Amino acid sequence: MNVKSLFWFFVGFVFVNFASSLWLLLSSVLTITPIPLPYWLLYTPGNIVTAGIIVAALMLALYTYLGVALVLNKMNRGFIPITMVIAFTIGITLLLVRQAIPALVILVIAYVMLIGTYIVITSVTTSRTSKALWGVATIILALMPLILIGGGLAVINYIRYMAITEQAMAIMASAVEAWRLGVEQ
Amino acid sequence: MVWPMPRVLPVVVLALAIVSVVVLVVNSIYAVPSPISSVRIGGFGEADYYASQPIPNVSPGLLVRVFLINGSSVKPVNAFIDVYANAPSGIVHVAMGYSSTLIVPFNNTNWLYALGKWASLGIPFSEYNTSMLVFITYIHGNESWILPLVIPYNVGWVYRALGKSTPSDATPRYIVVNAYINVNELRPSRVVPVRLNGTVTDPQVFGTYNGYTVYNCSLSGPQPEVYWSFPLYEFAPTSECVGINGSLPIAWATWSSGVIQNDNGLVIDLSIDFSGTINWDAMSTDYGDLGTSYSASENWGPQSAEFILGSQVTQPGSVYWYYGGATWAIVNYTVWYVGDITGPYYMGTTTVSEVLYVPPNDYYAATFDYGSGPISMFYNGAITLSEQYFGYPALNASTVVDYAAFEYTPYGEELWECNGPVGNTSTVFGGVQYTLYTVTLGGVNTAYGLSAAEIGTELGGLAFDVLAEVATEGEATPLIEFLNNVGSAIFDIAGLLIPPSTSSSVTRTTLGIGGVTAGTSLYISVINASAVYGLPTFGFILNATNYYGIPSSFTCKYNQWVQIG
Repeated sequence: MNVKSLFWFFVGFVFVNFASSLWLLLSSVLTITPIPLPYWLLYTPGNIVTAGIIVAALMLALYTYLGVALVLNKMNRGFIPITMVIAFTIGITLLLVRQAIPALVILVIAYVMLIGTYIVITSVTTSRTSKALWGVATIILALMPLILIGGGLAVINYIRYMAITEQAMAIMASAVEAWRLGVEQ
Repeated sequence: MVWPMPRVLPVVVLALAIVSVVVLVVNSIYAVPSPISSVRIGGFGEADYYASQPIPNVSPGLLVRVFLINGSSVKPVNAFIDVYANAPSGIVHVAMGYSSTLIVPFNNTNWLYALGKWASLGIPFSEYNTSMLVFITYIHGNESWILPLVIPYNVGWVYRALGKSTPSDATPRYIVVNAYINVNELRPSRVVPVRLNGTVTDPQVFGTYNGYTVYNCSLSGPQPEVYWSFPLYEFAPTSECVGINGSLPIAWATWSSGVIQNDNGLVIDLSIDFSGTINWDAMSTDYGDLGTSYSASENWGPQSAEFILGSQVTQPGSVYWYYGGATWAIVNYTVWYVGDITGPYYMGTTTVSEVLYVPPNDYYAATFDYGSGPISMFYNGAITLSEQYFGYPALNASTVVDYAAFEYTPYGEELWECNGPVGNTSTVFGGVQYTLYTVTLGGVNTAYGLSAAEIGTELGGLAFDVLAEVATEGEATPLIEFLNNVGSAIFDIAGLLIPPSTSSSVTRTTLGIGGVTAGTSLYISVINASAVYGLPTFGFILNATNYYGIPSSFTCKYNQWVQIG
């Protein structure tokens, strides 16, 4: 297994999350201060969606990279992230052309594939800490839709905290794995 | 192959990861501003509401930002920003300045004066929302643009942010208004030198008309300091506010003298039924609907007013359901620019009609109007008043929907259904069994063409619109899941997509017509006053020979007819 390729996936994962966090922190605080700002730095719902789409595009690129790297290393489980990326791309395209129902079907498939991708990542990580963090993140990811379907919008705040926990775990897991791959090997 | 920075990179990555996680946590506990609501204002503004822990050196309040849109370029631009607060009986001038941003803290003396007026009503703050009125004047060469913006807010939020009541995570602490001056789309005014006339003539409209009190609603509260700059010039705004206090109809039916003559014995039944939050929208002469200027919880049980033409009612008039003691205002805003040497210039003017106050959960039984009540005022008074006061009609043309007609033809009595089906039920009134033909208008939102504050943004709003659309179909779940995974910032959107819990629940108004016999000739039109006055109120207009306004042509969309008798 060529660990170098996965090293860059984990580095990329952390960088993308850091960039979006930085934009979020800067724009949210600057928006409410009375200094002139360029429009793109405003923390408005429109810009948040735009930022979300950019982050999503970057993440999908990273997952593609992960999938291709795994397949090239003769690990067929790499097809799971690739399928997920294709499904998300189709789903979002359908949303943009306002085909809500087919889009939702495809996005549900993409979500299941995302859980699969997390399982794949858990299986290929080399550090025990990272494996544990990715594992828990996978479980949270799988539970969120079930809880939301069961509890409806009343539990949206719990879902919110779960997702933040899941995201924080994935980020830390990636950093730990990047550390392991970069420093210890 | 040699990796670049093999030792440093993992350390950097670990540091960045820790920072990212800290930011995620900080955001999740509202330690930094997090949007909890967003309102689009016409096509030229947006108000975003942020919950947050106190940010050092930034007082909670209203922040106005002005952007110039020219082609694809969007950039901050200096403009004259003028802010007013709506109070129950008038408007208070709060702040002004020439800049690309203007901050008006909640503890601004003039704003506190307006807030005090609301607090003195003694009504729980959760029962209603009021608004701020912001005018933006942008000048370029000899052209100028004046944008009116209405910014809804709740007095309770302000009191919480000021520490006067228990703080709460989920209420806005900062309100950010983005005004977009699109010079490609909005029509400018011409800047012209003028001679300022020092004496303002009283237009003599103040007094009592048809049960309404018309008064000067510029409250004599504290005034903001005049905005001066160096080299010496001044932006001199004038606002004339005509307040109209009286009853505000929610639904009415009007019948002409022709109906009285031709359709003796006809039974009319006007029923209304709803509970929930009602929004009253501000309307502008140049920009149309500006969004909600006032909203309150209102509750009307199923109520109906039933009577017989010819015996119980013998003259043309109206019957209406109404709120008592409501206030609405017509604000005419004009700006002059006064230079040291150059003298005064006229920058332009704009007019806004807005509801300031309606008592929450307050309504009055059906009442008749035979030419001197609020419905007559609607048809004849308000437009005349604004013409008299401002020299031109302040309000837009009406929207009339041709609804249904009973016609007597050589083939017998026919019912034409033009704008939806006309139902029928059986009713006993005055000991007589009638078939009651019912014209039912749907929910308040669809019937009035108004909706709860529209969620969305003007720029980059495409994706958001798609998301909102999916969410409103009640199938947001997988989408929210997806959003959860693309960045926590997106979470805030999930919150925005949840419809407000206070939306109207039961909302319908019905006009029933009974006693239809061979020979009945009756044309039913519907006037949607929200398009005219910004009021969620509409009326059924009954005529004997043609639809209201005698249209030369009309479309019968539903196009169904029923043989009667």
